[in-house]
Amino acid sequence: MPRPAGAGRVEVHGLRWRPYGRKQPIIDDLDLVIPAGQRVLLVGPSGSGKSTLLRGLAGLLETADAGELTGAVTIDGAAPGDRPGAVGLVLQEPGAGLVAATIARDVAFGLENIGMPRADMPPRVTTALAAVRLTEGLAPDAPTSALSGGQTQRLALAGALALEPSVLMLDEPTAMLDADNAAAVRASVDAVVSERALTLVVVEHVLGPWVDLVDRLLVLDDQGRIVADGPVRETLVAERERLLEMGVWVPGAPVPDPIPVDPTLLRRCSRMPRLFRGSAPGTTEAFGNNAGEGAALAATELAVIRRTRTVDGIVTERVAAALPGPLVVRPGELHALVGPSGSGKSTVLHVLAGFLEPATGEVSTADGRPPARLDPPELAAAIAWIPQWASSTIVTNTVLDEVMVTSRSTGREDDTTKERALALLAALGLDRVAGADPRTLSGGELRRLAVAAAILHGPDVVLADEPTVGQDRHTWAAVVGLLAAYRRAGGAIVTATHDSHVVARAGQVQELITQPRPTEPTGGRPLLADRGPLALMLGAALAVPTGIISPSWRASLGLLAVQFVLAVLGLTSRRAGVLAPLRSLAIRLLPGALAALSVAWSTWLLGGHRLDLAGTGLTRVLLIVLPSAVLLPFIDTDRLGDQLAQRLRLPDRPVVAVSAALHRMQSFADIWAEISRARRVRGIGPSWRRPASIVAQVVALTVGLLIRALRSAADLAVAMDARGFATAQRRTWWSPAPWRLGDTVLVLVAALPLVLAILAHSVPALAGVR
Amino acid sequence: MATDTTRAASDTATASGRRSIRASGPLMMWRTVDILTIAFLGAAFGIAYWGWGLAYQAPSTALTTLYPPLTGITAAPWLVAGVVGGLVVRRPGAALFCEVVAALVSMIPGTQWGFTTLISGILQGLGAEIGFAILGYASYRLGAAMLAGALSAPLEAVYEWFVYWTDWGWSHKIVYLFVLTAAGAVIAGGLGWLITRALAAAGALNAFPPGQEARESHAV
Repeated sequence: MPRPAGAGRVEVHGLRWRPYGRKQPIIDDLDLVIPAGQRVLLVGPSGSGKSTLLRGLAGLLETADAGELTGAVTIDGAAPGDRPGAVGLVLQEPGAGLVAATIARDVAFGLENIGMPRADMPPRVTTALAAVRLTEGLAPDAPTSALSGGQTQRLALAGALALEPSVLMLDEPTAMLDADNAAAVRASVDAVVSERALTLVVVEHVLGPWVDLVDRLLVLDDQGRIVADGPVRETLVAERERLLEMGVWVPGAPVPDPIPVDPTLLRRCSRMPRLFRGSAPGTTEAFGNNAGEGAALAATELAVIRRTRTVDGIVTERVAAALPGPLVVRPGELHALVGPSGSGKSTVLHVLAGFLEPATGEVSTADGRPPARLDPPELAAAIAWIPQWASSTIVTNTVLDEVMVTSRSTGREDDTTKERALALLAALGLDRVAGADPRTLSGGELRRLAVAAAILHGPDVVLADEPTVGQDRHTWAAVVGLLAAYRRAGGAIVTATHDSHVVARAGQVQELITQPRPTEPTGGRPLLADRGPLALMLGAALAVPTGIISPSWRASLGLLAVQFVLAVLGLTSRRAGVLAPLRSLAIRLLPGALAALSVAWSTWLLGGHRLDLAGTGLTRVLLIVLPSAVLLPFIDTDRLGDQLAQRLRLPDRPVVAVSAALHRMQSFADIWAEISRARRVRGIGPSWRRPASIVAQVVALTVGLLIRALRSAADLAVAMDARGFATAQRRTWWSPAPWRLGDTVLVLVAALPLVLAILAHSVPALAGVR
Repeated sequence: MATDTTRAASDTATASGRRSIRASGPLMMWRTVDILTIAFLGAAFGIAYWGWGLAYQAPSTALTTLYPPLTGITAAPWLVAGVVGGLVVRRPGAALFCEVVAALVSMIPGTQWGFTTLISGILQGLGAEIGFAILGYASYRLGAAMLAGALSAPLEAVYEWFVYWTDWGWSHKIVYLFVLTAAGAVIAGGLGWLITRALAAAGALNAFPPGQEARESHAV
């Protein structure tokens, strides 16, 4: 369905949108015409509904929200969803719209939705990838997880281009990127919009780099009304004051003055945790000549090694991050860690906070002990951490509690704490939401809150991960002002940052370099490596009836021996030999062995302490779980989706959703770790001495993870519907899902123990006396 | 024109929370966000399930020492995904889908129960689904959550008789069934209901009936 020439006229008449739960509409009676091929920059204060309007123009308001919608939006006279992909959409967070594990497949997603035959897809995908220059040095089957943030945004752009849109909508596409990546994304946008004469609507609050790329500037006020509209340069001049007032980064305007924050609102940093004055033996000598003496935090050169183990037991190690020189952070200092995305700045901060153990080097807090050895309240007194994603650190239900919680957990709450907390919130413009749930705040508000909550109790050092990225001028001024006040109160800061204005304020700067990735082990792979997911699961499933019908522990032992021999056959390979796979199998089987033991034990307790009964239970469970431990780790989650839809004929849309969720499992596990770190560094981590703290931890982690999962689902729903997923009736699939001869062989071989079990069951002599 | 439909879904909201708000549009018409939310909730629960698989050994062993069928209590947290899935999306199949995804996701990195995890997920999800179906997919209050939680248990318990507790006496098997059902009602049902409320209060369910209930009760 090629795009008609000169298409892309957007018309909006009387658009009104009130989400349920708000008395006032976000967009009220809005009229707007964008001629085909025009490039529009849309700006406004945070909360003005820019993203909402963008979604409205794409016809996606009701995709991830519920409310009252009236009025009309048309693209060339038709509803935005009439031709899937007519409006291409790129969201702010890199990866928010990722649906597949490889880049070509991700680009093909829209084509699958419109039911394009498989053979027609590759040229469209190649063209789209070439348009955003993702063909240079990247194979079509390159994993999406290895892309930088900027490459991921360009991939999203390619995914939109594959459907030949007439309108392109970009929602702060570079807000979360460093300068180089942002420039690459803008260059791609410029190229494709010019080449294809697309209508462009881009939301941004850093205007400078976009001015040359657009024709028209549209300004929304905080009520969602259009208050200025005209050619970009004239409008910029005429509206300069209003834009600055809104917090927009107007080109040529000076860096905003940090907001004044009274340092006495913060607890004076003690530099030494009160509980543990006196120096502990150990680490300061490592710095020689007592260079670490008097430091709030000190580290030698550091290297972090990441080990990965393939299913067949081959271990590869790579340097994930390295701190090139020693770091001695004294009270009042600001240290900046700089370097390209992927150079491991966040990882180094994790090591400094004691979340990760370095392979070489050591870190010591003010009293000389490494942070990893401190219990949560001690750690919270020594170190505060502001992660890139501010919502991870939310640990309470009101904004005021959030600011005060670490003062409480560290025993630093006094008569003035509440007063100081309220004054701090007032200085940040957050006093009116002091009683609100922090999770309902906007991104900018949340960022200010996270910084305030990190410093009120006066920790020795704050580790701040990109504290200013993506912020408007107001939040930028608030965050920088807060950190300045904290330094005047005697605090020290280590920050990972791309922000040149923050780097300019730093006394010391260390540049990290990107570490090379080792190549994957190659060579002979185990027999099980290329088997299809369905065959692997079927093989594991056959063990269930085997265990159930095995008549005695003697028979089970024999069957276990058969399973073991088959496992060795399936796992052994030229590259890994026999022992490495078995060692890794033994590790995987450990939980199953524990489960088998607990079943055996309960049977022993209830069954009159009969060892043979217990042994039957033990061997039965082992029989059931051993094949799973061998086979299931080989499941390739991409191929699982393909096979579930194309072989089992399960409904397409749920299968696609499950595949997308499976891709995000690693990021979900990371979120889990991040929330648990945030709780530890706020002084409220669990302690085995207090069982209630463990329950609180589990509830907090689960709810925190669910909230993040729900947010990603909502974002992905918008991104998928923008690529025709809502109307996908008869989907096609980028990859075939063949059932191969090897799959049949696997299932037949896996059925062998079951056949033997049936024999043992029906021929009592074989089963031994029970 | 796609944008001229004003949802009538808020009509029941005005009844001051006495009745549950149903899913928007025809019940069987799953929106993209419904499908993705169930898949993602399921995956998140799957990770939590996997974690619980590591942590539950200690409390479970303690209960075994007391009286083995009491381990139904430590098994109940594995029933919560179905309840939450049903409470959030409120469409036929949501509870089953959510519990199955959770089981699948916890199975792939490797649990002690291997493939039986998936079978359990299907049986538990089916039970929760029956609970919501009995109420005609119309009620999603605490009672409904507890019913779904309770009904997640029986099929699973009977299945476990054959796989794990084969050699227990019948009286113990029956006690296990009742313990798991009661724990399902209280832990999976009650906890699931609380989790759903917490998610709605945090503004994470705005596209769904529970978010709407929370928002319309204190509109800003």
